Amino acid sequence: MPRIGVYICHCGENIAGAVNVEEVRKYAEQLPGVVLARNYLFMCSDPGQELIKQDIRNGLIDRVVVAACTPRTHEPIFRKAVEDGGLNKYLLEMANIRDQDSWPHWQDKEGATEKAKKLVASAVAKAAYLEPLEDRFVEVTRASLVVGGGVSGMFAALDLANMGYKVYLVEKNPSVGGNMAKLDKTFPTNDCSACILTPIMVQVGTHPNIELLTYSEVESVEGSVGNFKVKVRKKQTYIDWDKCTGCGDCVNACPAKVPNEFNEGMNNRKAIYIEFPQAVPKRAVVDIEHCLNCAKRVMGTQPRIHSKTGEPILAPCEKACKTGACDRSRAYNPEGELIELNVGTIIIATGYKVMDKEPFKEYSPQSPNVITAMQLERILSATGPTDGQLKRPSDGEKPKTIAFISCVGSRDKRFHTYCSKVCCMYMLKEARLIKEKYPNINIYIFFIDVRTGGKDFEEYYNYCRNLGIRMLRGRVGAVDELPGDRLRVRAFDVDLGAPVELEADLVVLATAIEPAPALEELGRKMGITCGSEGFLKELHTKLYPVETSVKGIYIAGCAQGPKDIPESVSQARAASSAAAVPLTLGKVIVEPLISEVNQRKCSGCGTCVQLCPYSAISLVEDKGKLHSKIDEALCAGCGICAAACPSGVITLHGFTNTQIFAQIKALAS
Amino acid sequence: MEKQFAPKIIAFLCNWCSYAGADLAGSLRFQYPPNVTIIRVPCSGRVSPMFILKALFTGVDGVLVGG
Repeated sequence: MPRIGVYICHCGENIAGAVNVEEVRKYAEQLPGVVLARNYLFMCSDPGQELIKQDIRNGLIDRVVVAACTPRTHEPIFRKAVEDGGLNKYLLEMANIRDQDSWPHWQDKEGATEKAKKLVASAVAKAAYLEPLEDRFVEVTRASLVVGGGVSGMFAALDLANMGYKVYLVEKNPSVGGNMAKLDKTFPTNDCSACILTPIMVQVGTHPNIELLTYSEVESVEGSVGNFKVKVRKKQTYIDWDKCTGCGDCVNACPAKVPNEFNEGMNNRKAIYIEFPQAVPKRAVVDIEHCLNCAKRVMGTQPRIHSKTGEPILAPCEKACKTGACDRSRAYNPEGELIELNVGTIIIATGYKVMDKEPFKEYSPQSPNVITAMQLERILSATGPTDGQLKRPSDGEKPKTIAFISCVGSRDKRFHTYCSKVCCMYMLKEARLIKEKYPNINIYIFFIDVRTGGKDFEEYYNYCRNLGIRMLRGRVGAVDELPGDRLRVRAFDVDLGAPVELEADLVVLATAIEPAPALEELGRKMGITCGSEGFLKELHTKLYPVETSVKGIYIAGCAQGPKDIPESVSQARAASSAAAVPLTLGKVIVEPLISEVNQRKCSGCGTCVQLCPYSAISLVEDKGKLHSKIDEALCAGCGICAAACPSGVITLHGFTNTQIFAQIKALAS
Repeated sequence: MEKQFAPKIIAFLCNWCSYAGADLAGSLRFQYPPNVTIIRVPCSGRVSPMFILKALFTGVDGVLVGG
């Protein structure tokens, strides 16, 4: 007969505020198998855990039930206490009377107390049938994958690489750098973005422990912490990168014109292109969709021969290439190459994208002089479409009056309810850069709230105001196009309590930060949930901000939510240190909550083999008889086999039929 | 007045999604009636039809499987 100890937590007021703990304790005391029931203010505290340990040491109990919060967060803590007391740690069962009882039934104290009794009875019933289990250990592949080569991904990769681990850095674009590479200066210090970022890009590109996989995307992820199998598709570049030197001769020769994504569509690039001048790796890529196939040189075909000279007729890019990297006769696979990586941990740092102006019809997006802040960033940048000259898109003139509009798409029920966090500061920064260079330009910033929470941010804001940048509180209702390429901004000035109108030459929209495209799909491939706004969800907002619900997968930067550069880098470095833990340990504990077949009774029907999502079960022959065999290393403990076995001879440890039947019986009565 | 019928419901919830969802509902203080009690399972695939029948035969009025 088991001797069960029940421990009921008050969780301060969290449980005791809705559940009559003493009543539940008295009820628990008389349940079959229970030898003692105690309650305590905070069971997870040191004295709380000590109660359990003492009772075990005194030989009073050999099974433990803790009625407290969710086992999803606190089971490991109490298992440790049980183990420290001298009992097998799997002889613990938790009743979730906080997250699934006192909190959601706060208004119904009586109902909450009755439910707590039931949940305790259910846990006690299961505890009677708990069995001691032994942990398993799995060797860890000492390598890590970082998805996303922006500032977050690069720092995460560098940190891990500097610790001595192999890192694969996957980036969808031809070069690392991410959004930060597009920025001119960065707040609050006005550091030149390129000056601080490019050395990092070079480090990433040359580090012996980093294998750079640019122009690549994650196709699938299998496995679990310690041993992930990741398939990565290296997209087809149509250029032999081993031979390409990044000289750019092919780019100059190419006649095709395509809107340049790096310059936010404000000028053109070629169909064969190098993403930006400081690209790492500096290699050319053929944008096959826009390639004109000059001289009818379709990829993978042999050149025609000139009838008079007998020379092959080549496309301009091929002719220009001195190293033979651009060879259109080669039969390239349009699907690229699929490679498989084995890694122990994964960091997702896929960054963000800024909304474009099109959805905001009220702000005349059709006007070339209404631009997004990212476009202005490119105009201000020395590598941008105007070589850093402040020229407005319609006529290349220097604007005399500029109006900034904040919260475009952010804090707006129609688009995103969240605050994009960085817009106030980047608007101030852009305004300041312009004002410092051209003090005569009038700059107005329309805002709802100025949010400058951050180290040295408020000082930056005050400095900008002193420069003469005018701040107007009020949401802008409309931007109208006027003759002569002028724009009229109409807003309601809240401080004045009256509508205001302003004529401007250039209107800058601080559009919202959105999750990177396909982030949700990537999350699904890895089993990580996205929040309602599409950013990946961390395991715990405060305590586990870089961990995810999948062990061994971590998040950094704007994949988790809008962030500025200092925050992204901090988070990236936190993620890398978290991701290094399993690699350093070299092995991870795998809970023994897995399935086991009673091979003597197995009829060898093979039902379970088909159903196992992890391909962990196979049929083996023993003495002329077939029976199924479960690979312990592959079994994830889902229990599908146990539910499906027609003979009922598969046991899922920790969730056995007997245990669950006992729970059902306790809850039904 | 006669007490209104409140069905006794057992919910089998997958540890990784709907059980976590029930936790989240609690932490967001979403209120729902207390006559649903939860049994944690490692996957909704663990829920054998026998569990559902057993529940219904022993006096439970409804079963919810979440996964």
